[in-house]
Amino acid sequence: MPVAKCTTIMTVPDHLKSPLIDLLLALADDKLFLGHRNSDWTGLGPILEEDIAFSHMAQDEIAHAQAIYEFIGGMTGKKADEIAFGRAVHEYRCASIVEVPDEFDWATAVARKFYCDHFDLLRLQRLANSSHKPLADLCARIAAEEQLHVDHVDGWIVRLGSGTMESRMRMQQAIDALAPHATWLFEPFDGLKILVDTKVYPGSDSTMYDAWVAAIKNVCLRAGLTVTLEVGSPDEKHGRHGVATPHRKPLLDEMCEVYRLEPGAAW
Amino acid sequence: MIDTRPIYDALKSIPDPEMPISIVDLGLIKDVRCNPSDMRPGATGGDVNVTVDVLPTFIGCPALDMIAGDIRAKLGAIPGVAAVRVNWLFDPPWSVDRITPEGRASLKEHGVTVPERGSKLPVPGHESQQTVTLSTSAIPCPFCDSKATNLESQFGPTRCRTIHYCNACKNSFEHLKRVGPRMNTNTQH
Repeated sequence: MPVAKCTTIMTVPDHLKSPLIDLLLALADDKLFLGHRNSDWTGLGPILEEDIAFSHMAQDEIAHAQAIYEFIGGMTGKKADEIAFGRAVHEYRCASIVEVPDEFDWATAVARKFYCDHFDLLRLQRLANSSHKPLADLCARIAAEEQLHVDHVDGWIVRLGSGTMESRMRMQQAIDALAPHATWLFEPFDGLKILVDTKVYPGSDSTMYDAWVAAIKNVCLRAGLTVTLEVGSPDEKHGRHGVATPHRKPLLDEMCEVYRLEPGAAW
Repeated sequence: MIDTRPIYDALKSIPDPEMPISIVDLGLIKDVRCNPSDMRPGATGGDVNVTVDVLPTFIGCPALDMIAGDIRAKLGAIPGVAAVRVNWLFDPPWSVDRITPEGRASLKEHGVTVPERGSKLPVPGHESQQTVTLSTSAIPCPFCDSKATNLESQFGPTRCRTIHYCNACKNSFEHLKRVGPRMNTNTQH
């Protein structure tokens, strides 16, 4: 990854450190994986303008991830690359939906981005009001960029949903297929409560889930699509607890291939 | 302390790598601080360390590394400057409102328009609601001032610019995006 953009050294009370790192890893890992998945479309986008747009946004996600990894590095002393590429499979905290391959089906890529971007924006907007000022500043900036991603993907949902019979059918199938993964974006992790209580992550509660469902349904309604979202059992453990889908390891092997050749090499 | 004028002049001479505008006119520079640098071996008494606080446009902009390198090179070449540190900051967030009138004029001349100062972001969904083809926007053409223009792409040659087409003079042009918190939000977020 290129030169550091986020060089602030963090001072965080000890009891908040581990929960905060879990939160930031979830945030950055979601972005790293989604950015990597979406970068597969570079050169293959449906039209030239979209190829460029999708590639820009994939690059945005990876840059956002880098800034967050650097933020974590400010607390742990580790380098962004080491955090991004140097962990074991079970040490990642991304949600399952970003691990799901799209098999170069455009509707799947759009649906995956749709669920993730809306969630990401809500998460960032809440973090932009964090009691931890350096985190709030960074997330306010990232949220502003993420808003552009949301506007863009909403446009695709509406366009495909109200397009031809085929585009509508395929968009509906992708929305349905990913819905069971999508709600696990909200899987609570072990230190979430203390982060909410201390207002490091204010408002990460049912209002956030409700806002997400409302936003998703609103866009689907405009697109003439239907969406059914069901929350899974709180006893289940998924990505936020390190539980990987079968797709994670092959994805990591591909993503970390260069890093593993020579960890610590200058890019 | 050295005269800070050469430092500002040097910054003003650094162009944005992707647009015809200096990084000062683009509003990237938040602050410049000079501290004595007596610690450097062999330093003459008056040398300074310079810290430049810079506001990134987009976090993932690949030009940021080039800009930081240019700042270090240009300022480092000024007599009396011992070391240069580039410090990226997110508060306040960079905005198109930081672009100087001179910068706006230069961009317009090269076919890049900028949102009016203090203008609001479009309300979410307002444009995309109507989209089957990309919607018409009312951004005036920088070449003929016609408002008969279309948005062609939301992400142009760089992530900070959209691409538009003027139906009156048949030219393509680009428009810098306003990013930042929405002034006029929908209820869902």
